[in-house]
Amino acid sequence: MTNKELLKIEHLDYRKNRRVILHEVNLSIGTGHIIALLGENGAGKTTLMRIISGVAKNYHGTVCLAGHEEEEKRKTHLAMTDPLKGFLKSSQLNDIVVFYKKVYSDFDSERFEELKDFMSIDLSMKLSQLSKGMREKLIVALTFSRQCDLYLLDEPFNGIDAMTRKKIVNSILRWKSDDSTIIISDHFVTEVAAILDDVIIIKDRTVFTHVSADEILKKHQSIESYYESLYEGEE
Amino acid sequence: MKFQDNMPIYQQIEKYLYRQIALGYFKPGDKIPSVRQLAVDLTVNINTVQHALMRLNERKILYVKRGQGNFVTEDTELLAQTRKELIDDQIKQFTSNMLALRLSPQQTLEALRKYYEEKNEKGGD
Repeated sequence: MTNKELLKIEHLDYRKNRRVILHEVNLSIGTGHIIALLGENGAGKTTLMRIISGVAKNYHGTVCLAGHEEEEKRKTHLAMTDPLKGFLKSSQLNDIVVFYKKVYSDFDSERFEELKDFMSIDLSMKLSQLSKGMREKLIVALTFSRQCDLYLLDEPFNGIDAMTRKKIVNSILRWKSDDSTIIISDHFVTEVAAILDDVIIIKDRTVFTHVSADEILKKHQSIESYYESLYEGEE
Repeated sequence: MKFQDNMPIYQQIEKYLYRQIALGYFKPGDKIPSVRQLAVDLTVNINTVQHALMRLNERKILYVKRGQGNFVTEDTELLAQTRKELIDDQIKQFTSNMLALRLSPQQTLEALRKYYEEKNEKGGD
């Protein structure tokens, strides 16, 4: 594991319609890590990813990725899962791939071929014909086919079956380059616990903890029970 | 491989490989699978596998051939020691369990002898 800093967030504040979504977020993330971003629904996980990726603007504070603070430059160093809502339901998957190749100069067609085969994605299908699991596999394959430093996977395991989850986890292990960092958001952690370097927990509108998975396990606690213990006595 | 959730995973992989070697699944001088292969097989992070291999390297159970990967030591004495450690570990667990059942060392040996006798009579393996 190299420990060069890849992402640094300082004094980040974000409001939407006068409501505080994130407050005083500070974060430092190195290259080559696999990180879970945990938190309840509505905790601000997706918002944080959207801020990092430059989609959500008008925040206060600094976000620096691979030495760049400007949103446009940051965008060339990261790939975030896109729920594909911008495509027509009748779009053929082939056309979506063509679109990705055109729009992203870092799109690696060879890698996509491998991922597509590994995930058994049929490109002649239409978007509307995909099951939830198949759609998520396509989203991950498209995201991972870009060659960049940081991958942001927004709840890739939400509502999909165990076999598909396993397939996605395996594709992460197989195709992740040594220096790239992956942040996976989720609200539970069991299926990815074994592949994690770090855990970041968003709670009370900020980064509540950022801890290595080994640290948690060394205290003879599973990541799951550690996470749950933070919510004990609430509600 | 199923991981326990109360011990760092690199330590569990270290133990697992240590066991594979002590049991002779990997022979002296054998190349062990690549880091990525192990990561995929065990469904763990590459960093975690590397951490475990590094520790086995420090203990001289494995050694690195540059550009070729990790190999099992050819130091048979060290491997015999590795095996003995595993055996001692098991005995330690067993004897402390027997002690908890209030069996003296004498009685434990006697119980063990009886167990083997009965097993042999049944024609078990």
